[in-house]
Formats: sequence, C-alpha cells, structure tokens
Amino acid sequence: MTAAQTPTVRRQTARERVRELMAHRESGVFLALVIFFVVMYTVSPIFRSPFNLTTILRQISITSIVAMGQTLVIVSGSFDLSQGSIAGLAAMVTAKLWKNFGLAPPIAIMGGLGVGVLCGFLNGVLAARFRLHPIVMTLATGAVFLGVNFYITRGESIIGLPDGLTWLGKGRIGQVPVLIILMFIVAFLMHILLTRTLFGLRVRMIGGNLKASQDVGMNVERIRIGIFTLSGFLAALGGIVLLGRVGNALPQIGQGLLFPVVTAAIVGGTLLTGGVGSMAGTLMGAAIMGIARNALVVLKLDIYLNDVMQGGLVVVALLIDQFRRGELTWRIIFGRDR
Amino acid sequence: MSIEHAVEMRGISKRFGNVQALNGVDLELRRGELLGLVGDNAAGKSTLMKTLFGSVIPDAGEIFVEGQKAGLRNPRDAQALGLAMIYQDLAVFNNLDVAANVFTGREYTRRVLGITFLDKKRMYDESHALLERLRINISSPKLLVERMSGGQRQMVAVARAIGFDARILIMDEPTAALGVKETNTLLDLMAELRDQGISIILITHRITDVLSIGDRVMVLKGGERQGVLDVEDSTLEDVENLIVRGRPEGGG
Repeated sequence: MTAAQTPTVRRQTARERVRELMAHRESGVFLALVIFFVVMYTVSPIFRSPFNLTTILRQISITSIVAMGQTLVIVSGSFDLSQGSIAGLAAMVTAKLWKNFGLAPPIAIMGGLGVGVLCGFLNGVLAARFRLHPIVMTLATGAVFLGVNFYITRGESIIGLPDGLTWLGKGRIGQVPVLIILMFIVAFLMHILLTRTLFGLRVRMIGGNLKASQDVGMNVERIRIGIFTLSGFLAALGGIVLLGRVGNALPQIGQGLLFPVVTAAIVGGTLLTGGVGSMAGTLMGAAIMGIARNALVVLKLDIYLNDVMQGGLVVVALLIDQFRRGELTWRIIFGRDR
Repeated sequence: MSIEHAVEMRGISKRFGNVQALNGVDLELRRGELLGLVGDNAAGKSTLMKTLFGSVIPDAGEIFVEGQKAGLRNPRDAQALGLAMIYQDLAVFNNLDVAANVFTGREYTRRVLGITFLDKKRMYDESHALLERLRINISSPKLLVERMSGGQRQMVAVARAIGFDARILIMDEPTAALGVKETNTLLDLMAELRDQGISIILITHRITDVLSIGDRVMVLKGGERQGVLDVEDSTLEDVENLIVRGRPEGGG
C-alpha cells in the first residue's frame, strides 16, 4: 500500500549540529567580533587598557539601548526612523520639567520617558490602524517631534543640569558606569521579551509572514502599536542617558543617533525584510562598530574617516546578508546570470 | 445522513459570473478513508474543497460533517468542526522553528508577573511526541523551517493541522512542487494518518499517487461529478478516461 519505506530512524549527526549552529545568524557576527577584538588586542597596547575598553562600552551603550528598540521594530518588518528625534524631545522635556517646572529629577525623567511612550504610541497607531508606510511615516513624525522640540525650547540649551539628571549618563555604581549596567539590563530584558514571551513570538510572526499571522487570528494591530511604543520608550531612555553623558541639554541632542542605531542592528544580523534578528546580535553589532571607531583613534588613523568606515561596514553587512540568503551570487555580480 | 461518512456534500453549486464552477456536485468522504479528487484544470476541484472549508459559500447545496448539517461561513467554522486544509502555498513561518509552527495560534504559556511567557519545553516535548506519533522524519522540533525541504514543510503543516485535532484533512496539490523521494515520504505520511483514523481528501494531478495510497477516486469535469471509482479495481486508464471523456451515467 505504501509508496516507499517510511523512514523512522531519527538522528542528529555532529555535522547537522554544526550546520545548525552556523545557521544561527549570530555565529558570523560573533566570529567577526572575536577576530576584530583579538587583532586589536594584539596590535595595540592602548586598545587593551582597561580604561579604553570601558570607554568603548560607554560609547556603545546609548546606541545599543536605542538599537534594541529598533531591532524589535525591524524584526516585525517595519522601521522607526523617528527614534533620534524622540530621544532629543524626551531629553529636552526632561530638562525643561526640572528647570521650568521645578520637578525633582526622577519625576522629570519619568515625564521624559512618558513623552517617548506617547511618541511611540502615535507611530504605532499611524502604522497599525491607519496603515501608513512605516519608513516615510516615521520620517515625518520624526520631523514633527524635532519641530516640537525646537518649538518648546526655542532652540535654547539648558545648562548646569543637576546630578540627579546626569546620573544615568555619568554616574557609577562601584567602579562600573551606570550606563553600561543599564545597557546590559536593557539587552537582557529585551532578549527575554523577544525569545521567551508570547509577545516576542508574535513580533517574529508578523515580521516573518504577515498574511499567515492574520489568518491565525492574532491582533496584529495591537502588537504593532506595542512594538512602536516600546521603540519610543527606549529611544527616550537613550536620549535621557545621553543628556547625562553630555551634561547639558542641547536641543539637537539625539540627532546623530539614528544611523549608528540602525547600523548596529544591521551589522548584528537583523534581517531587513523582517522575521529574523536578535538582541545579542545587535549588541555585538554595536560592539563591532564601537571597536572600529576606537581603532581609528588608538591606531592614530583619521577619526574623520569614521563615517566613511561606518557606512562602508553597513554596505558590507548588507552584501553578506544578500549572499547568505542566496539573493546574490558571484555569477550575478559578474554578469553571467541575467 | 449516514454516520459512516465523515463528510457528505449534497448538490453543491457555485457560479462565478458566467462560469458555472460547480453544478450539483455530491461528495461522500467515508470515515478513515483517503479519497482522491481528480480532474482537469478548471474541473472545480479546488472550488469544491473551498466550499467544504468555508472559504467559498456555495449558491446551493448542503454540507454535513460527521452527520451534522454544517453552516460554514468561514474557515474558522470549518476548523471548529475538525477540518483542516493544507494548501500548496503553505502558511508556515519559515523564520520560526518546528514547534512554534506546530503550535501557531494556540501556544502554551505561563503568566509570571503579568507577562505571558512561552512554555517552550512543553511545546518542544509535545511537538516531538506529535512528530513521533505521525512518524514524521524531522529530527528535532527546534529546527528552523527555513532550513527544510518543501516536503518537510508540508509535513510541518500537516503536524500543525493534526495538532489542532483535525479529523478531516483536505490537501490541495501537496506534492506538486516536490521531488519523487519527498512525494513518496509525504504519501506515506498520508497513508499513516489514514490508518490512524483521519479522513483525507487529496486533490492531485498525479493520479498514480491516488492509486498507490488512496481508497477511492472521485472525478470532476466541468464542475460536475463524473463518478467515483474504487482504487482496488481501477486502472490508471479507467481514471484517465473518466477525466477526459466523462461518464454521463456516473452520479452528479
């Protein structure tokens, strides 16, 4: 009756296991990070000083915190280009609440975070309920948030911030800078959220196969709103930490944030088409970019080349991604196909 | 209506504009049988199955599932009655692992501090047991579906349907995109499911598939039932003749 023998023996060979491991996108990123780190560690005594290593961690912490939110958004198949503006607006609102309304720093910080949540919620509603294209929509809302920022501050800085507002960016717990601890806490929580919770699974489902997600009957709209809200919250948190790191509240704060944030996610292996990405990958992506930037300094290369290098690394990451997905082959590049 | 029938369709008609897609079609699916549904393109096979699954509402006719009259308005109604449909273009999540796909939409969860966590271990264990029970050759429920072949993806879709307690499976050209070996494995799985008591309707162009594992074959032509043949005393030629020439005296 049967057409062929039913194979019932089930085994996972060592080779299968290695292939499975290599299939994890983080493997490549991890390998790149290790090689990069070891090379720098070997060639540069300045690089391997504890002070320098801590500096790198401090430099990547804000980018990483915001990039965790961006990763969540990209995994769901969207983009949030308003994060930089949200960070700036949240930072300025925080400073204003302290300066003009006399609120205690912790309350002011909560207010700033609240602004981020509100901005993110607005993005989410526009993306989910009104079905606006996330790239253009967040570009537009980003302009709005930046405009509101300049409108309420009249473009003026607020200087001389109290310790309570700068603690997140400047403070230390024991020997360790607060923002580094914060980065790892955010990374851990976001990792748990994405991999262990029903919400995280839904995010990966929406990004992986939107139509099937709708067929299953899940509330795609609510999940999308949740994603953008969280992205806004983390952008605001990043902005407020940045406030402390800079020490003064400058209205243009957060404006350089978006590119390194997206970069960290992409170099970390987040698939631009959605469905695939991890917080560990993004953290490693941010670390690679941080070490690369640091290398320019400690090897006494020109720091002005930083943007060239960052942009170049993103292009390389995109190329690697195309190869891995089989969208690109040497034959296509050299014109033997099509 | 007879209880020995898992599905009984009576006088199903459906018109799309000028085209009479189905014209008074009857279908009986016996319990635990594998019924092949064959016919040329535009014979009405898929439309007939869509009416059974609630994604097409017929203009006329009645449908009985397990002896009960079923008023199917959408696929969810059909699922509630224990029906599952597996399409050629599968609704699987390639970016997720096997277990996540098997449990899509009915995940095991645990609430801790108001947060809904996935009970991964339970889902891995149960999907492993399910694969084992169905004798599906997938080494681990932790495998990513994107790393799998077309046939294995079909099996994941089948496992998902069975996991949802489907007792009646509708499979629409499941082997169309598969190689010989994969096709055979999938056919084996269907035979296995049938032996476990699942009733299956298999739409296919490959008549030999039905003849190798099926119990009966129903032939449609021009939206009308041409006849139902017992696989045991039919040849490939019998079925092909019916598909091409039709048989006026054969039912519908």
